[in-house]
Amino acid sequence: MSAKIAINTEWLSVCGGCHVGIVDLHEKILDVLGAAEIRHCPVLTDIKGYPEADVGIITGAIRNEHDRHAAEAMRKACKLVIGLGTCAVYGGLPGAGMVHTREEIFDTVYLHNRTTKTDIIPSDGVSPLEKMVTPLDEVIDVDLYLPGCPPASSFIFDGLLALVEGKTPRTSDESVCGRCRRKMTKTDVDRIKQTYEDLPDPDICFLSQGYICLGSVTLDRCLSPCTRMGVTCTGCAGPTLQVLTEPNRDIRTEVGERMARLTKIEKDTVIRAIERGAKTHYAYAMATKMIGGKPTFLINQWIAETETVGAEGGAA
Amino acid sequence: MIGIAIHEESCRGCSMCIDVCPTFVFGMDETAGKASVKEAADCVGCLSCAYLCPSGAITHTDYHAVMNFYRDLDFSQRVARFL
Repeated sequence: MSAKIAINTEWLSVCGGCHVGIVDLHEKILDVLGAAEIRHCPVLTDIKGYPEADVGIITGAIRNEHDRHAAEAMRKACKLVIGLGTCAVYGGLPGAGMVHTREEIFDTVYLHNRTTKTDIIPSDGVSPLEKMVTPLDEVIDVDLYLPGCPPASSFIFDGLLALVEGKTPRTSDESVCGRCRRKMTKTDVDRIKQTYEDLPDPDICFLSQGYICLGSVTLDRCLSPCTRMGVTCTGCAGPTLQVLTEPNRDIRTEVGERMARLTKIEKDTVIRAIERGAKTHYAYAMATKMIGGKPTFLINQWIAETETVGAEGGAA
Repeated sequence: MIGIAIHEESCRGCSMCIDVCPTFVFGMDETAGKASVKEAADCVGCLSCAYLCPSGAITHTDYHAVMNFYRDLDFSQRVARFL
């Protein structure tokens, strides 16, 4: 092979787990490093600027002014930009901050924090928060997307190796259910269970047992570890492509329809339950216009209804 | 002719495709606990099964794609760039 491919990576508003996802390649990373040279990487290289590179991997959403500056600098320095991870592609968990104002967030975190005593909102040397959380592609042009929280290392390896070798990576539109090993059976379950209730059968689909699981509306970029280990899917890799592109498809209506066909629970009951927990069920993708911009996505109304009911002492 | 296939590995055996298909294309393989295509020639390409399948395991080829006028083309084009 001729010259090595130069790679820059950068993290913005993100937990840092996507970089761990890259390191999770273990010895396979040697295959990538054999053909690539990492120039800017916040966890590996001590370099302040953005050297020119062939590929730029950006993780995280745009939450503050530093994020915006770094994203724009990466775009200028890199020929091809990959948005890696759910935060870069959809806004991710930081995106859930959009249902609260900056003032509410500062107040909860710094002024009236229940677990620590602080009374100062930091401002010195800290990049100011922007008003909204913005997915990467609303600020710069993104050439390729790889959602996941983080994407399973096999998807990262496949994607990186395809770039290095100039091949088309294998992609799949399948959902988390595709790799789950639970059996979907029709049952007589007639009420929605919370995840802490009872012990779920390890071989039967969560939906069949009355637990709300987002596996069927979530793109498989994870190899379904949670459902195999007995934990319901929370949708961390973001919605399936049909939920993203079809205006009449949504997380709550799709889960509602499937659950109603598998159990004796009414579709509307499931939809209402998901709306009541909207901050959780839409947490990873609400900042993208592909979800947040849907005219039927009324999260502020759902939150207002839920919190009113809660304040009156009713069941939330 | 419309082609239809189920990715067997991904089928969870929910039988929703059998319930929703208007032309009875699918059957259930009881021993494997998975759905299978029995009458592929009867498929009219309505895609009801593909949309309903929890795994996204059903794929069609050579069908007439109807472009919904309300679909956001800009967003739809982005998903072609997913790794």
